[in-house]
Amino acid sequence: MDLGLVVPELLLTAFVFVIFTVDLLSSRKRVLGYLSAVLLVVLLVVTVLQTGTGDLSGGLYLVDTYTHFFRVFFPATTLFVVLFSIDYVAKRLRYPGEYYSLLLMATLGMVLMAGAGELITAYVSLELVNFCLYVLAAYAKFDTKSNEAGVKYIILSVAASALLLLGIGYLYGVTGSTTFREIAAALAQQGSSAGVLAGLVLIVAGLGFKVAAVPFHMWTPDVYEGAPTPVTAFISIASKAAGFVLLIRLFSLGLMPAIDSWGPLLQLLAAATMTVGNLLAIQQRNIRRLLAYSSIGQAGYLLMGAAFLSESTVNGILLHMTGYTVTGLAVFLCVTVYQNLTGAEDLEGYAGMAQRSPLLALGMTMALFSLAGLPLFAGFTTKFYLFTAVAGHGGLGLVALAVVNSLVSLYYYLRVVRQIYIAEPAATGRLEVPRILGTALVVLLVLVALAGVYPYPLAAIISVAVLPLGLPG
Amino acid sequence: MIPIQQVLTISAGLFCLGLYVVLARRNAVLVLMGLELMLNGVALNFITFAVYRDPERFLGQIFALFVIVVAAAEVGLALAIILRLYRLRRTANVDEANTMRW
Repeated sequence: MDLGLVVPELLLTAFVFVIFTVDLLSSRKRVLGYLSAVLLVVLLVVTVLQTGTGDLSGGLYLVDTYTHFFRVFFPATTLFVVLFSIDYVAKRLRYPGEYYSLLLMATLGMVLMAGAGELITAYVSLELVNFCLYVLAAYAKFDTKSNEAGVKYIILSVAASALLLLGIGYLYGVTGSTTFREIAAALAQQGSSAGVLAGLVLIVAGLGFKVAAVPFHMWTPDVYEGAPTPVTAFISIASKAAGFVLLIRLFSLGLMPAIDSWGPLLQLLAAATMTVGNLLAIQQRNIRRLLAYSSIGQAGYLLMGAAFLSESTVNGILLHMTGYTVTGLAVFLCVTVYQNLTGAEDLEGYAGMAQRSPLLALGMTMALFSLAGLPLFAGFTTKFYLFTAVAGHGGLGLVALAVVNSLVSLYYYLRVVRQIYIAEPAATGRLEVPRILGTALVVLLVLVALAGVYPYPLAAIISVAVLPLGLPG
Repeated sequence: MIPIQQVLTISAGLFCLGLYVVLARRNAVLVLMGLELMLNGVALNFITFAVYRDPERFLGQIFALFVIVVAAAEVGLALAIILRLYRLRRTANVDEANTMRW
């Protein structure tokens, strides 16, 4: 076994314990946040320098360009989440040491989900992510909402895991293997059967919970509202992406021969997910609930791509996921900083944000426009790639529905923008954005704009990343 | 040997029983027991398939072991969070955990 291939994973594991140890030894807890950020930067540098590819333990863990892309993607996302956690944690949460180590451990789980080439590995990595997120969601110990979020999350998530496991069990029973490639070979040989169909439906339900697809989305708004804001950002961006990463890997390497069985199922889920998500977002007053429903809508677009799995749609999915991640991080950065400074959680609290902090207002507006998919921003370009790819594979009806949904989403994003720029502020006084977060926000906004007008370098990287999946055109 | 259908029926029955408890019970601790029942059904399912369909390798048994370990950890975590909620609200009733609506 060549451990040199998994240096980034091993390093990330070591860093989790470094943070634990420093937490024990140091009395200045604020250091921990900056330490985590520095460690993540070190990790990113080491990972980028890694180029080796290969299989570990006979295909249990696959180190290829797909894994490699997400070894950079997830730690980079966590880096931003750590940055805007620092003030929030210092102000509102106890035990920062465990907070940052859990964030990093969840990141490790997400990276492992991307590399898993076998169902046991995939399941254990999935649970590693879930366990960290349960604790993080309930992290505000003395806040009823946070505890409620934790209880709802853990109960529903375990039930979804049980469904997923039952599905895996049937698939294993029919194909006699848990390795993705062997499953594909067995499926291609024996074709579809009742057992395969039952397994597929249950697996789609289990993973659908993870990516918050309708009708398995019930937990999302409550968990997003109750969990600490940076954790909400982490769940809605990174954990959702991880669900899709595993789904794409499993479906393209393992279940591709049965696409006729699960394709229509995913189409149905995609249509329901984007419609319900966007329609329910309209009536939300709490900003995090609004973002929760909006992220359900975004998951619908990604599922639409997964329903027509092929090389070009996976390109579109990964591109849109990256665009959504950068944009979502910018939105949540603004929301967290604004909540830290003013305590605002409802839309009314955002009245006159532009007069109090032009930078945050600009960041919010740009990011919301990008989420809605207006031209010049990341959201438009990535959606365009994704929708074109899906339309090219016969999903024209779904694409039409997705375009209508994008228009609906513009309506509720504009309601927020109206509050920010037109409504009269309830309080006056300039808000000082911490310098490090101001810089991070500017970096994210530049990336949003860059991905919007010049997406080619990103598209080139992604087109290499999807090659190991071995998908048809 | 017992026919595989009968064993699979038992495991599916266990799973459904657990699902019923999860949906019908209001006490969080009982809901947790329902979840355990579901996971036990799943573990039995894996072992059945391993014994009947894949006797040379131990994949199903290994998977069942992982399921048991993860389930145990999950209960520990869930009980801790439920205990927290109980201390704050003086109730372990999931229906009354409704501070957040729509």
